[in-house]
Amino acid sequence: MNDVKTPEVVLARYGELWLKGRNRIEFERCLARNTRRALKQVAPEAAVEREHGILVIRAGEQTREATQRLLDVFGFSSLSAARGCDHAFESIARTGAEEMRATLARWPSRDPIPFRVETRRSDKRFPKTSVELDREIGDCVMVEFGERLKVNLTKPELTLGINIRPERVYVYSERLRGAGGLPVGSVGRVVSLFSGGIDSPVATWMAMKRGLQVVFSSFHSYPYVGQGFIQKATKLARRVAHFQNSGVLYATPLTKIQEAIRDAAPPGYRTVLYRRAMQRIATRIANKEEARALVTGESVGQVASQTLENIHCIQDVSPLPVLRPLIAFDKAETIALAKQIGTFELSIQPEPDCCTVFQPKHPALRARTEVCDDVEAGLEMAEMEEEALAATETISL
Amino acid sequence: MIYLDNAATTALSPEVREAIEPFLGGSFGNPSSRHPLGLEAARAVEVAREQIAGALGAADPECVVFTSGGTEANNLAVLGASRTRKRHGRHVLFGPTEHPSVRASVQALAEGGYETESLKLVSGGALDLDAAQAALREDTVLVAQMAVNNEFGSRYPIEELTTLVRGHAPHAHVHVDLVQALGKVPFSYLDLDADSVSLSAHKVHGLKGAGALVLKRATRVAPLVFGGGQERDVRPGTENVVGIVALGAAIANAARSVSSTREHLSRLRAVLAETLARLGDSELLVPDGGGRNGHSPAIAALRLPGPPADVWMHHLEEKGVYTSVGSACHARSKSVSPGLLALGLDDQSARQVLRLSFACTTNEEQVRAAGAALLEVATQLRIDTA
Repeated sequence: MNDVKTPEVVLARYGELWLKGRNRIEFERCLARNTRRALKQVAPEAAVEREHGILVIRAGEQTREATQRLLDVFGFSSLSAARGCDHAFESIARTGAEEMRATLARWPSRDPIPFRVETRRSDKRFPKTSVELDREIGDCVMVEFGERLKVNLTKPELTLGINIRPERVYVYSERLRGAGGLPVGSVGRVVSLFSGGIDSPVATWMAMKRGLQVVFSSFHSYPYVGQGFIQKATKLARRVAHFQNSGVLYATPLTKIQEAIRDAAPPGYRTVLYRRAMQRIATRIANKEEARALVTGESVGQVASQTLENIHCIQDVSPLPVLRPLIAFDKAETIALAKQIGTFELSIQPEPDCCTVFQPKHPALRARTEVCDDVEAGLEMAEMEEEALAATETISL
Repeated sequence: MIYLDNAATTALSPEVREAIEPFLGGSFGNPSSRHPLGLEAARAVEVAREQIAGALGAADPECVVFTSGGTEANNLAVLGASRTRKRHGRHVLFGPTEHPSVRASVQALAEGGYETESLKLVSGGALDLDAAQAALREDTVLVAQMAVNNEFGSRYPIEELTTLVRGHAPHAHVHVDLVQALGKVPFSYLDLDADSVSLSAHKVHGLKGAGALVLKRATRVAPLVFGGGQERDVRPGTENVVGIVALGAAIANAARSVSSTREHLSRLRAVLAETLARLGDSELLVPDGGGRNGHSPAIAALRLPGPPADVWMHHLEEKGVYTSVGSACHARSKSVSPGLLALGLDDQSARQVLRLSFACTTNEEQVRAAGAALLEVATQLRIDTA
């Protein structure tokens, strides 16, 4: 067993990029760049190369770790840790046997495993057809491992994949589903209004999935809530930023604005007015960061303040489009995604994001823009927002 | 910075820092090694054992079991003593305001089929000894009761409780959490008559990560950790020499100066009480637990008007005054402290309790400044002051 080599490359396939026509090269470059960044820690020596419609990552000893890490990189449809060999039939058969030996050693089933070989020829110059190779390699494998396998072409549980490429042949037995989506940064940049809750991390992740580079913007009410809140938001943001390899969090104190609104506004309007202030500040951050839209975790009707009227009232203060990836999600669906991404456990850590002192008992369900405008006209909103921006802390993730 | 969270942890004292210095450098031996470097470490551990036994007055150094802190000591006592005595029964009594490390261990016993029962407080906060006597049984195997509460400083009548236990529950192991008592409230180890007591270093100017369970001679507890035989097989694992040396020195210092510390702390609390008189609808909670010498002056629990205490805490922190809400160990959880509820506070009042805790390193000037900050915050929060 000791002389069994481990897989030495990751084959990273991308699906949707094919749809992008002449932009494809740009997307591929972006994906390769993101891949290199993602591997900086787990496989710093890895070489990332584009080879006719896939990325081949040579990560040597760190191939398994690299494969795991790339599961969190948007743009890949599937990933396989693979062994490479030359185009000679004997080499392919030998490498296939190595792969099977390693895989079967870890396979618990004692019953014969439904099995097949699946060949893909990217290099059509190869003398045998895919079907011939399937059959001939399959025969070799069955001679050696026949006791543990039974051939099943329609519903295999174990598929030995063979990819014949111009440069080299790759053999693998596992095809992991990638994160899908588009490479982060390939579509543009946005600012996400990021709280310590369950929703905004999921919304942010979904924005990244569609190729958006996200800048994080959080608001806090220190000293009505503790600095632990900023720590929690940072920790959460770091978890989500993992999917774009890095990021920056703007932590803005909203305290003075909240105090002023609390004192001046009809109680029911407080929440909407706080959110309008956040939206304006986030818009200024977006301008500075050259971001073209805002992202929020709003879901229509989920809480009292998320009525259509209130959403309109809040949106009204920003010229930027507001993306709401969760708009039609049930809470349970959001929670399921949050668990999958790994933010749920962090989100439910008790650390209040807004003090009860500021929360109205009964938020207005149908806030009117004129009322908001009136209240704001009586306050020095622009100055206070300017001050809040000046006091904003920038945290690199 | 004015640090008034000494019930959570304290600053390392210069004497302790000096005592550990050699063990951070050249004297890095494993106490189990047989060469001179190892023997030097072993000797240091023995000195700490003697210091602790000496600080308690009449304990046997051989009965000091070093642990990773108060929590582990409490776990070891509650779980280890109950398991050792299970042939005598499965009935366990625990104090109404115990630290989470005791409560959670008792909960683990309950999940393992033990019958667990909380002792009670009478109104005013004293331990209900009549109810305790009625609860004691032939099959009671453990009574765990803290000496001083960590949230509001009540001193409980351990001496009387132990007498009752001996008379009514002959097989019971009495465990006393001394973590908040040592160095703050005088007591006689012999009068406590406990089968085990737990101690922590960092509450008395030692290092975090070291504590001890001190057993009465010939008392056995089943181990929770298994390994190479250290600490007489009760708590194996290579000794935390630096932490243990610090623990020995810190406990010796604390015990030596308990009378003067107590006087000093009482003065500080009186200064704070003066300020508080100017703040309407506030209250310094000094619940008399019914024990000797009344109350730990190290802890001042304030019930404050207006918003929940954490709003006060963060406003004070902005002014450089560090306090805490509930006890630091569970200050991050949203639930209300069971100790404060046992005291008879309702949910809302329990959330309005701010804890200021003093140490010998705190001075009057700091407490006055903290009092002034408290009044400033009251103004900020629009609460009337006289």
